Amino acid sequence: MDRIADCIKDIFLLILSLTFIEILLPNSSLSKYLKFLFSVIILATILNIFK
Amino acid sequence: MNFDEILKEQMKNYVNSEDTDSISDYAGRLSEGISDYFTIDRILDATLNGKSIFQDSQLITDLKSLFFYEIKGAVVIAAEIIIVCLIIGLLKNMSNSFGESGVTKIATMICGAVIVGLAMTNFYEIYNLTAESVKTITYTMGILLPILIALVIAMGQVASGTIMSPLLLSAVTFFETVIKNIVIPMIFISTVLTFLNCLTEKDYVNHIAKFIRKTALVVTGLILTIMTGIITVQGLIVKTTDSILMGTARYSLDTFIPIVGGFASDTIDLFLKCMGSIKNVVGVFGILTVIVLIMVPILKIITVAVIYKVTGLILEPFAGKKLSEGVFDIGSSLISMGAVLLLSSFLFVIFISAIISIGGV
Repeated sequence: MDRIADCIKDIFLLILSLTFIEILLPNSSLSKYLKFLFSVIILATILNIFK
Repeated sequence: MNFDEILKEQMKNYVNSEDTDSISDYAGRLSEGISDYFTIDRILDATLNGKSIFQDSQLITDLKSLFFYEIKGAVVIAAEIIIVCLIIGLLKNMSNSFGESGVTKIATMICGAVIVGLAMTNFYEIYNLTAESVKTITYTMGILLPILIALVIAMGQVASGTIMSPLLLSAVTFFETVIKNIVIPMIFISTVLTFLNCLTEKDYVNHIAKFIRKTALVVTGLILTIMTGIITVQGLIVKTTDSILMGTARYSLDTFIPIVGGFASDTIDLFLKCMGSIKNVVGVFGILTVIVLIMVPILKIITVAVIYKVTGLILEPFAGKKLSEGVFDIGSSLISMGAVLLLSSFLFVIFISAIISIGGV
């Protein structure tokens, strides 16, 4: 249970900071690819629970 | 010597009054005085004089004042959340005149963080309360079960006592471990994810949160069903064994010993009836204590949950879908917490009634 709690903590901080960064991104053509990249990072963190 | 004196004397022999007093003290502290209406002496008196246990009108007054006290605490938090959301609504409407949309977004997010902070403090308090009350109920069961089992064996239900005792004690311990280490943390994690979902613009973890919450409830229900099944079926079988055993003993005493045999078997009958009523008194005391112990936390949880749900409804017009749904989901999480607590008390009540029904007098 401790390990899962740690993972949840990671997910929380990661999603929070990525949302913050997303708001600060300038409106360029690259931003939508960056958003996709962020989603992939979040997916990887969530899957980290099952490691 | 009349009947109630005999009963009281036997009660002193078989039930250690220190144990029951310690339970009453413990429950009294947690239930803010409500358990004082259901001490073992009061139940014994009510049984002997044929009175109702729930006669006190003071009890209803106490419950009412407790209820309004909880509502007052919850309404304060709801008001704070609504005020922060009003600020968000104002910011959104004024954002057109500012031009920069990023600033408004960050401001909205910070307001969301304030709401999450308010709700989180409140939720953590209730989480601790739930864990504490599950622990208390298990402690109560740990003291009561050995007393009840000893009474069951004293009634001559030897097979029931010897089989049920380890079964019930291990079931209680197993249930407590699962609830405290798996189910309640799962609901906590799901609530944390719900909070997170309030803050983000896209749905990242919405379904995971709901899935974890539902899994926690299903796990509790499944364990409850299995345990109840095992205890009930086992109780039915050993009950038959014991009634055959007792019937044979009484019959052989009556028939094979001339003249005094009849008196002896009558005396045994009286003794068994006496033990039976003591066991019922202790059992009823146990059931009432378990119910009183969960009553205060359940009252608190349900009140806070309803207030959160109503706040979620109120927020919808001006704070947007995300936040109102988030606050609504926190209400659902709290209701799940209450359901787990209710189910665990339900299981313990079933255990005690299973013991009471053994050799029912």
